[in-house]
Amino acid sequence: MRISTNQFFQRGTDSILDQQALLNKTQLQLGSSKRVMTPSDDPTGSARILDLQHGIDSANTHQRNIGAAEASLNSEENALSTITDTMQRVRELAVQANSGIMDHIDLQAIAQEMQQHLDGLLGLANSTGTNGEYIFAGYGTNTKPFSQTNGGFSYAGDQGQRSIQIGTNRQVAIGDSGYAVFQAIPNGNGTFVTSYNGANTGTGVIDAGQVTNQAAWVQDTYTLSFLTPTTYEVRDSANALVTSGAYQSGAAIAFNGIQVSVSGAPAGGDQFTIAPSTNQDVFTSVQNLINTLNTSATDPVSRANFISNLNRSIVDIDRAMDNFTSVSTGVGARLNSIDNQKSANADFILASQTALSSVQDLDYAEAASRLNQQLLALQAAQQSFAKLQNLSLFNYIQ
Amino acid sequence: MADIFGIGLSGLAAAQQALTTTGHNISNVNTDGYSRQTVELSARPPQGSGGYFIGSGVDVVNIKRVYDEFLVGQVRTNTSSFSSADTLQQFSGIMDNLLGNPNTGLSAGIEKFFSAVHDVANNPSSLAVRQTLLSQSGSMVSQFHNINDSINQQNAQVNTAIKSSVSEINALATTIADLNGKIANTGHTGTSGAPNDLLDQRDAALDKLAKLTSVSIVKEDSGAVSVFVGNGQSLVVGIQTQALSAIPNRYDPTRYEVGYSSGGGNVEVSRQLSGGSLGGLLNFRNQVLDPAKNALGRVAIAMASGSNTQHRLGMDLNGALGGDLFTVAAPEVLPSSTNAGAGSVTGTLINANDLTTSDYNLVYNGANNYSLTRLSDGQTTAINTGGNSPYTTTEVDGISLTIASGATAGDKFLIRPTRLGADDLSTVITDPAKIAAAVPVAVAASLSNIGSASAGAVSVNKPDDRVMIQFTGTNAFDVIDQTTGATLAQNLTYTSGSNISFNGWTVQVADGSGTPAAGDKFYVDHIVTSADAANSGGADIGQAALNPPDPNLTDTVTITFTSATTFNVAGATTGTPTNAVSYTSGGVISYNGWNFRISGTPATGDTFTIGPNTNGVGDNGNMQQIAALQTQLTLDGGKATFQDAYGQIVSDVGTKAREAGTSRDALNALLKQSTDARSAVSGVNLDEEAANMLKFQQAYQAAAKVIGISETLFQSILSALNG
Repeated sequence: MRISTNQFFQRGTDSILDQQALLNKTQLQLGSSKRVMTPSDDPTGSARILDLQHGIDSANTHQRNIGAAEASLNSEENALSTITDTMQRVRELAVQANSGIMDHIDLQAIAQEMQQHLDGLLGLANSTGTNGEYIFAGYGTNTKPFSQTNGGFSYAGDQGQRSIQIGTNRQVAIGDSGYAVFQAIPNGNGTFVTSYNGANTGTGVIDAGQVTNQAAWVQDTYTLSFLTPTTYEVRDSANALVTSGAYQSGAAIAFNGIQVSVSGAPAGGDQFTIAPSTNQDVFTSVQNLINTLNTSATDPVSRANFISNLNRSIVDIDRAMDNFTSVSTGVGARLNSIDNQKSANADFILASQTALSSVQDLDYAEAASRLNQQLLALQAAQQSFAKLQNLSLFNYIQ
Repeated sequence: MADIFGIGLSGLAAAQQALTTTGHNISNVNTDGYSRQTVELSARPPQGSGGYFIGSGVDVVNIKRVYDEFLVGQVRTNTSSFSSADTLQQFSGIMDNLLGNPNTGLSAGIEKFFSAVHDVANNPSSLAVRQTLLSQSGSMVSQFHNINDSINQQNAQVNTAIKSSVSEINALATTIADLNGKIANTGHTGTSGAPNDLLDQRDAALDKLAKLTSVSIVKEDSGAVSVFVGNGQSLVVGIQTQALSAIPNRYDPTRYEVGYSSGGGNVEVSRQLSGGSLGGLLNFRNQVLDPAKNALGRVAIAMASGSNTQHRLGMDLNGALGGDLFTVAAPEVLPSSTNAGAGSVTGTLINANDLTTSDYNLVYNGANNYSLTRLSDGQTTAINTGGNSPYTTTEVDGISLTIASGATAGDKFLIRPTRLGADDLSTVITDPAKIAAAVPVAVAASLSNIGSASAGAVSVNKPDDRVMIQFTGTNAFDVIDQTTGATLAQNLTYTSGSNISFNGWTVQVADGSGTPAAGDKFYVDHIVTSADAANSGGADIGQAALNPPDPNLTDTVTITFTSATTFNVAGATTGTPTNAVSYTSGGVISYNGWNFRISGTPATGDTFTIGPNTNGVGDNGNMQQIAALQTQLTLDGGKATFQDAYGQIVSDVGTKAREAGTSRDALNALLKQSTDARSAVSGVNLDEEAANMLKFQQAYQAAAKVIGISETLFQSILSALNG
C-alpha cells in the first residue's frame, strides 16, 4: 500500500498519543488506587458502588445510634441498680422493724434512715443521663419529673418511651418513663390488697393473701367481717354473701380464686377489707412505711394495726422491687439485643466493604504489570518512529 | 524530416513541467486537503512521411490531481459521524466527572442529612444537634445547587457552541460559494484541465463543514456544488448562500436552537440537523443534559416534598405543629412564543412520588379539547375543560394543570414538571427549635387503671396512607386505612356530594350515573382517588383536597373501657363509632387523625387519654418517620428511594458517556481508515517525489542532450556546407 508522508507522520504520532493516553489512565488508577474513576468506566459498577456506600453509611449511622442507645440504657441501668440496692436496704429495715424486738426509739431510728433512703430514691428518680436529659421523665426530658408535694408525690413527666433506629428494620426503646418505673406499681400482692380496719378491737392480723386461680377472681371490694371471734363472713360491695366459715388462726379463707389468712384473736365486729390492687408509686409505699414506723404501738390492739400496716407495706415494697427487677431485666435484654445488632451491623459493614473493594478498588498486581507493558509499548512506538522518520530518499540526493 | 530540435524542446518543456509539478507536490506536502498532482504526457501526433509515421515529440496534455470521489465522500461522512460522537463524548465526560466525583456527588450529601436526622432522633431536645441538622440540610441543598449549576453552565456552553458553530457554518458556506464562482469562471467543465487547487480548497472547506454538521452535496454541470444540511435545507446553491442563525427556543429563551429562514420567518431546524459537532451538541443536550437535570430536579422535589409532608405532621420544641423544611419547585409551564391566543396554563404539584423525568407538551385542539403528550414515550391524555375557566385537571403523573380559557386552536405549551426542582430547592427553617421532632399527640394511661392493658406510641395518620371507602349498603359506608389497618369510621350515612374528611384530606363521593351499590369500593391512595373496577353502582369519587393533618388532631380524647372487650370514646370529632366499640388486644384504634394500639386486658373503668404532647421535648417519633423516608421506596411507582433515583442518574450519565466513548473510538477507527485510504491515493509521498524528481531531472538532461545533439547535427551540416 502506498503511504503518504503526512500519513506516516500522523500514524507515528497517533500511536504515541494512544499509548500515552492508556498510560495516563493506568497512572491515575494507580495514584488513586481505584479501578472505577468515573461512572463511565463501569456504569453498573458505579451504581453498585453508590448502593454499597449507602449501605455502609446507614450501617455506620445505626452504629452511632447504638452508641447513643447504649449510653442511655447504661445510665438507666446504673440508676436502677442503685435504686434496687436502696430498696433492698429499705426492705431489710422493714423486716427488722417487724421482728418484734424493737422499741419505739429503735423504730424511729429506722424511720430516720428510711427517710434518707426515700430522699435518695427521689434523687435517683430525677437522675439525668449523659446528655443532661432526665432519664425517667418520658418525653418531658427537660422537666424534673418527681417532686414531693403536700399530698404526696407528683410526676411531671409523661408516659412516652423514646425509640432509636439501630438496624434497618430494628428499633429499640432507650428508656422507661417514670410512670412505668416508679408509678404504675399495683399495690398489695398485685391483684388485690388487704387492709386492717382501724376501728378493730381484736388483735387479728391479716396477711397479703395469694391468688390461687386468677380466672376465678372477680374484681370487687370485699369485706371480711368477724361475726364472733370464731366465725367470719365475706361480703362483696353489693353486700352479697360470698363465703363464711369458722375462724381458725392462720387458716386460709378462700373465695373467688384467692385466699387470705388472719392470725391472732380478732374480736366480734372486727373487719378487714380486700380490694383490687391500685397503682401506688414507690415513694408513697416507702412514705407509708415511715409513717407506720413513726406511730407508737403500745397495746396489743394497736400493735395488731401496726403489724398489719407493716405487712402491707412490705408487700408494697416487694411489688416495687419486682417492678424494678422487671424493668432492669428489660433494660438488660435490650442492651443484649443491641449488642447482637451491633455485631450484626459490624459484620454487614465488613461484608459491604469487601464487596465495595472488589467493585471499586484496583488490582495492584494487574495494574503494575499493565503499567510496565504500556511503558514498553510507548517506548517501542517512540523508538520506531524516531528511527523510521530518519529514512528519506532526499538524504541520498547530493 | 522530423524536427529533432523541436522534439528535444518538447521533452525539455515536458520534463520541466513535471519537475514543477513535483516541486508543487513537495511544497504542499503539509497542505490540508491537497491532492497530489501528476503530469499527463502524450506523444505528439506523428508526421506522415510517405509510408510511415515519424514521432514529433511530447505534449503535456493535462495536470491532474490524483483523486477518488468515493474515498473523499467516505471521509466526509465519517468526519461528520466522528465529530458528533467526539463532541458528545467530550461534553458527557464533564458530566460524568462531575457526578462521579465523591466530593461533588450528591449521595454523600443526602447521607449526611439523614444521618443528622438520626442524631436529632437520638437527642431531640438538644439545640446543638438540631442546629447541625439545619446546617446539614443547608449543605445538602447547596450540593443540589452545585450539580445543578454545573448543568446550567453546560447549557450555557451548549448555547455558545451553537452560536459559534452556526457562524462558522455560515463562513464556510460563503467560502464554498466563492470557490464555486471561481471554479465556474475557469469555464472548465470536462475532466481535463481542471483547476486542481481550487477544487482541493473547496473539498477542504466541505470537509470542515462536514466536521460541523452532516451535509449532502450535489454537483452541478457548471462545476459548482450545492450543499444541503438537515433534511434538505439548502446552504449553498451555486454562488448563493442561505445563512443559518442561532435563535432562542420558542418556549424557553434560555436555550438556543438553530434557525433557518424560509418564507419570511425563522424556523427551528435543530431537530432536523444531525452529525458533526453541532449534531453532537444537540444530542448531548437532548440525551444527557436535559434528562439529568429533570432527574436531579425530581430527586430534589421528592426529597423536599416527602420531608415537608412528614415534618408538618410533627411538633416542634415550642409545641407548635411543624412547617415546611424545604421549598418545593412548582411545575414549569412555558407557552410557545408562537401562540396566537391569550390562554394561560399553570401547573401544581400533587404527588411527588408519581413524577416522571419527562417533559410534556400541551396542545389546544379547539372546542375545549386539549391533548397532553408525555414526550418520553408519546403517551397522550385528552383533556376537555367543558367550557370551564379556570379548569383544573385530575392528576397526571404527579401534577395537575389549571387551564384558563383564551387559547386559539394550535396553541402549545411546554410543561416541565421537574426541570426547576433543584434550582428552586432551599431550606426554610432557620430556628433549630422549629424542627418538629415530636409527635403532636401522646397517650397516657390513667394511674387508677387496674387492668393490665397498656398503650403503644401514638402516630399521626399520613395523608398518603391508602384508604378504602367501602359501602356496606346503598346508604352507608365504612372508611378503612389499609396502610395502618385502622378502621377510621364505620357505618357513616351517605349523602351524595358531601365531604368525607380523614387523615388530612377531603373527598366527595357523589351520585353519577346512579347511586352507590352495597359492596362498592373507592380508594384514596397517595391523594389519588379511584373507584374499584368491580363497582356495580353509579357513584363517582371526586378529587382529594389536601390539608393535613386532621384539624382535630390534638383534641383531648378519652377512651374508657366499659368492659374487658368494649370501650367508649369521648371527645373525638373524626371517626365512628364512639360507643361500645369492640376491643381486640393489639388492634389499631384511630380517631381525629391519629392511631395507636392498646394491648393486654383492660378492666372496666380503665381509661386512656390521648391529647397534646405537652412538653414532649424528648419525643423523637416524627424524626424517626423522617429518617425512615431515606429507605422508603417512593419513586418510580414504589421501586426506588431518593438515593436509588440519584444513583440512576449517575449510571445513566455514565452509560451515555461510555457509549459515546465507545462509538467515538469506533468512529475514530473508521475515520482513520478512510483518511488513510484517501491519503494512500491522494497524499504526497516525499520519497516518491524524490524519485520522480530524479526521473524528471534525468529526462530534462536527456532532452537537453537531444537539443545539444540536434545542434551538433546542424553544425555538421553547416560545416559540411562551409567545408
